[in-house]
Amino acid sequence: MSDLFVLRQGPLGDDPGAVTRALTEAFVAVREALEARRPVVIGVTAGDLLGQGGPLDAAVATGLLGMVRALEIEGAKAGWRINVVAGPGLAEDGEKQEFGVAPVDEAADEEDPVALTIAMLAESELTGQLLQVGGANLGKLPA
Amino acid sequence: MTGAAGGLGGRIGERLAAAGHELVLVDLDPDVERVAAAQGARGVVADLTKPEGVKAVVEAAGTEVGVLVNNAGITRDARTVNMTEANFAAVIEINLTAAIRLTLALEPRFVEGASVVNMSSRASLGNFGQANYSASKAGLVGFGRALAQHWAPRVRVNAVAPSLVDTPMTQAMPPEVLAKLVAKIPAGRIGTPDDIAGIVAFLALPDAAYITGQVIYACGGRTVAP
Repeated sequence: MSDLFVLRQGPLGDDPGAVTRALTEAFVAVREALEARRPVVIGVTAGDLLGQGGPLDAAVATGLLGMVRALEIEGAKAGWRINVVAGPGLAEDGEKQEFGVAPVDEAADEEDPVALTIAMLAESELTGQLLQVGGANLGKLPA
Repeated sequence: MTGAAGGLGGRIGERLAAAGHELVLVDLDPDVERVAAAQGARGVVADLTKPEGVKAVVEAAGTEVGVLVNNAGITRDARTVNMTEANFAAVIEINLTAAIRLTLALEPRFVEGASVVNMSSRASLGNFGQANYSASKAGLVGFGRALAQHWAPRVRVNAVAPSLVDTPMTQAMPPEVLAKLVAKIPAGRIGTPDDIAGIVAFLALPDAAYITGQVIYACGGRTVAP
């Protein structure tokens, strides 16, 4: 497996200032990984992309997606590989998912479709994509 | 409305005033007071990244707010490898987090049927040298989607995402660069401030009462072109 860098969005709480901090920390961490020629996957909760969670979490989730799309355009010639995986409740198990953590070993968990998707991206040439794992789609009501 | 002293903001203000809205125009640029006076509106010079700035706007807005247009924004473009952390954070803070702070602070004052319009951008779908700007404008989309659900049916929240608009900022671009960008727009021309202001004014009207949580890409078809 390539030296994949995985960054997962965690719950923000209710301080708007956390939005600036989360996105900026993500940018710094992701840029460092890309400059080191590591493929990057950003994991977000699908419901946050759809605005079905908290407003601040939604702002960061879609903000990360916008950033990824800009980085994909900019890094096309350099061969940067960066994608987003949106899955069901990435942080719902109560474990705080910190930015900058690279839980590559999670990819070995065959029971976790998000981890499997992340593992697939480690070996893929895909870049600038949003891969949705699970049933969440814009326009579909949450269960 | 925030960002009211700029080329686009000024035109949006005129359209809202013409629709009968009593306006509070906000900007960091003191010129907003002149713009406001010309429209018979109240001008507020405020830094929305500071608590006292948000407080001043909330007080000026009064107890009943029918429309909020989050239009304040900056650019600090650079290739990612050259972008400073400070310039990334500044764009997020002003374009996104300040809008979040103000919107949440005004929540108790929104009247039944109020409309929030966030000025996003086609760049929310990605743009070269704009990792910060793209993130900030995409963040506004998600924020609006969530608020639209949290605040329905009392308050509607939508976004407008323009592409190139004929403002002093685009007029400062090298003509050959601008021409190259315009050539990618199916409509065959740059957008005008009126193109955008009309959409904002529409979203503020009861005519748009059934629209919430949406993004209107006002980009001359740029999002669907190669």
